[in-house]
Amino acid sequence: MAVPVSNRSACWSAPEVYKHHEQQRVCISRPKYREGRKAKAVKVYTINLESRYLMVQGVPAIGVMTELIQLCALYGVVEEYRPLDEYPAEEFTEVYLVKFQKLTSARAAKRNMDEKSFYGGVLHVCYVPEYETVEDTRLKLQDRRSYIARAARSRAKQREKTEAAQESSVSSEAPTSSDKIPASRDVTSKIESTGEALSLSHYSEFPPLPLPPREQCSFRQKSHRRLVPTEDKMGTLHNAFFNVEQWQADSLSSNPTTSNRKQGTEGRLGPNPGSGVRFIPRNTNLESRKRKVEESGEPAANVSGENEPLIGPKLPEPAKLDMEDESLNTTVGLIRSTMKQVGSVPDLKRVEKKAKPRRRI
Amino acid sequence: MSSTEAPERFEYLQSLVTEFQDTDSEEAKEQVLANLANFAYDPKNLEYLRELQVPDLFLDMLTEENENFVEFGMGGLCNLSMDPDCREVILQSGGISLVTNCLSNRREETVLSAVTTLMNLATPATRSQISEPGILQCMLRFSLAESPRLRNLAAVFLQDCCSEEQVRQAQQQMEGRQTAVGIPLPKE
Repeated sequence: MAVPVSNRSACWSAPEVYKHHEQQRVCISRPKYREGRKAKAVKVYTINLESRYLMVQGVPAIGVMTELIQLCALYGVVEEYRPLDEYPAEEFTEVYLVKFQKLTSARAAKRNMDEKSFYGGVLHVCYVPEYETVEDTRLKLQDRRSYIARAARSRAKQREKTEAAQESSVSSEAPTSSDKIPASRDVTSKIESTGEALSLSHYSEFPPLPLPPREQCSFRQKSHRRLVPTEDKMGTLHNAFFNVEQWQADSLSSNPTTSNRKQGTEGRLGPNPGSGVRFIPRNTNLESRKRKVEESGEPAANVSGENEPLIGPKLPEPAKLDMEDESLNTTVGLIRSTMKQVGSVPDLKRVEKKAKPRRRI
Repeated sequence: MSSTEAPERFEYLQSLVTEFQDTDSEEAKEQVLANLANFAYDPKNLEYLRELQVPDLFLDMLTEENENFVEFGMGGLCNLSMDPDCREVILQSGGISLVTNCLSNRREETVLSAVTTLMNLATPATRSQISEPGILQCMLRFSLAESPRLRNLAAVFLQDCCSEEQVRQAQQQMEGRQTAVGIPLPKE
């Protein structure tokens, strides 16, 4: 019986490698409807596997401990940390033990830091409950139980509320988006995938900025708003919502310009009104459009650029109300319609033009 | 009532249960079982899982030969049993003895889930059953284990789920004779 006592002092002693530290093989045989966003191994997560102690492997051995802890601190208060020199590490990397004040912080940190690049290395973050003391374990279980009990109570309350609301025949607005998502793991993986994008764009190249720790719900909202844009970039990730709009504006308004440019001389006649656009190489435009079509699976709609499914607030129609003068507006209208006509015909003309020189030769 | 609240979630879980019952593929079963067990972690799903009788599905897994089935089922029960309503269902289906049998499992993860589940199942009504000498002796052995996780969990169990007097008695009995509970089964 002496062991549990010496336990406490053994907390920070030489570590051992446990099986659950290893990354399991990802499962590849799942049918579509059970597939999450992220490839995962077949594994059951319980409170026993979670912990406010995290082990971070794969930290490049270039003296970036401070940076690592700063990164960790984005997700909550870090109580203690130290390098695990004794733990077997890959060459030129270090292993760190990080103890968060709260389990939720450790969870967020693991979710957002695992498998992310960090100063040229790829981090592997896992829970290390074997560093817990008996008291840690007890508190962890108690917290979990009271959390579940609270959830049960609020569920009961909500049910009463909705029932009351249904009686008074008023459609309640309470459970909306979060309940529509079929699976909690999907929710988390969604959070993970967007969190990925966020953390990547924030941390991969720049020193970590002190963002406030994010709650899950804010992630969820973000994930709804940013949905597509994180994925269909051309290699780079635009992290701000503003950029999405900008980008859309570009693709919308530059469609006519590119089609004009294609037609050579005629296209140069007049600058396209309402496109105060940055230059975007045509190739990139086409590529991104193609990618979009592939992703959305509905062709032709995007090519016109008008029936595009809009994400976020609608942009104002380009330059229709700009002129504040009727005659000017009619002129603009005339120019536009001529441009359209010019734009639709010349393909044929060009063929004829090309054909002529051949005859001469 | 619940199915009007979030029909999609319920239907999804239902389709998982259906697949589990219909498929002949061991692998698919394992995956679905793991999915269900993980869904049991989120309190939002508990009501639906109860409605779909998933607690009984998990309990059935405890006597399977496939060790993964046992581990995932036990993990699912560990997650479910945190919830008071689910706890009642598990108790009514004779969960305590089924879970107790898992204390002898060879896999640590299964044993850990079993210990936590037993702690979750402890109520004033079930306390005598859970602090039965056989189980306490098992926990005493676990508290000397090499694995810190098992050691800690057993220590919490001994401190929270029974009296000091009971622990002392169990210790005395242990010096006399051993019980088989908690001794891993031999590997084939």
